[in-house]
Amino acid sequence: MENHQALFLEAGTLMLAGMIFVFAFLGLLIVFINVVLVKLAKKYPDTIVKSRPTSKKNNNKTDGSINPAVVAAISAAVSQYRQQQSTQK
Amino acid sequence: MESLKVLWMSTGLANFELGQVIMMLVGSSLLYLAIARNFEPLLLVPMGFGAILTNIPVAGFSEVGGLLHYIYYVGIDTGIFPLLIFMGVGAMTDFGALIANPKTLLLGAAAQFGIFATLFGAIALNFVGLDFSMKDASAIAIIGGADGPTAIFLASKLAPDLLGAIAVAAYSYMALVPIIQPPIMRALTTEQERKIEMAQLRHVTKVEKVIFPLGVLLMTIFFLPAATPLVGMFCLGNLMRECGVVDRLSSTAQNELINIVTIFLGLGVGSKLSAEQFLNTKTLGILALGAVAFSIGTATGVLMAKLMNKLSKEKVNPLIGAAGVSAVPMAARVANKVGLEANPHNFLLMHAMGPNVAGVLGSAVAAGILLALVG
Repeated sequence: MENHQALFLEAGTLMLAGMIFVFAFLGLLIVFINVVLVKLAKKYPDTIVKSRPTSKKNNNKTDGSINPAVVAAISAAVSQYRQQQSTQK
Repeated sequence: MESLKVLWMSTGLANFELGQVIMMLVGSSLLYLAIARNFEPLLLVPMGFGAILTNIPVAGFSEVGGLLHYIYYVGIDTGIFPLLIFMGVGAMTDFGALIANPKTLLLGAAAQFGIFATLFGAIALNFVGLDFSMKDASAIAIIGGADGPTAIFLASKLAPDLLGAIAVAAYSYMALVPIIQPPIMRALTTEQERKIEMAQLRHVTKVEKVIFPLGVLLMTIFFLPAATPLVGMFCLGNLMRECGVVDRLSSTAQNELINIVTIFLGLGVGSKLSAEQFLNTKTLGILALGAVAFSIGTATGVLMAKLMNKLSKEKVNPLIGAAGVSAVPMAARVANKVGLEANPHNFLLMHAMGPNVAGVLGSAVAAGILLALVG
């Protein structure tokens, strides 16, 4: 029984020491992140790769407008198609 | 007639003992849980099969000269397999959420109370007739860390005889996290607390992610060298992931290598599931203590998060504290799920990943402390 009580006491000490150490270790890690890593992040921010500007010849505009040249080409093709249809009849 | 008798004596039927049959049923139960219920299948399939193999009469899988004997001796007795797994886990871990919100490390620390309280519980069981030494109790207590490789590593060092039961308990309870944790989380929080939405996490730069594992390793070297096998391999895996110049190694560590080692680790642990080592009252005590360890770890994590919410300027949803027990990423998913039940627009997954990976570090540190003080 005395042996059990001694073990119990030892377990209590271990619990106290263990929890204090875990908190101290991970607490130090918080300091490390806040002091070292945050400073490093400010000094060496991620470099953002800029996308290459689209060439003027590129017709795939993203602003929603349609290139007048494309409109003209489609209109010409449609009218040509209609003319062909009417001559066939 | 004599040769017929010899032939009969060489069959399994003539040599079966009741204990072996029971352990084969235990192995089959592990296979059932893995295949039909999807409980930690990656480890429970080889472990369950290993349990069946090791209990085959006459074959001698776990005796000197047997396959499982050498797998255990080479990989688990030496501690190599759990450490290789830990390297793979490091290669799979993104510390971004933790670095963005470092105070969640305190949640990971609080949840480790499950380990140390269980140590107390294991010693208390000596009063009811069980006979756990301090080494046994420490190996059992690490189940509360909810970290399979750490539990196997520590058990192989401190209490190899209990390894089978400890591994089964650790992985079973990790699979049961979605069942064990939610009632405790709901009991300790109010509806209003569960609804709390947290601020979006800041962007973490590459340089922070590269320096972080090196910083953790340096601190472990300074303050807790006993934990460097676990933390060192974990940090190596994480550095390979984040440095961006060894993608092939990182990919191998988190795929092929961890898969190969998992097969052998499962078989090696399964080889410890023999009748004489598993079928005793100690196993029942270990299974009971494992559940207690998980529950206490979850509760202290949630309570710590509640305290942080009271004291901190930024709001903290107490549910993320439950993820401090590690069990990556299951515990974080559970926190997210319980949060969504209270508030369907509240996604806590990324916030819970912080304490979740902090729990991995916390349990490795706790294992180092137990090794240093008891080992």
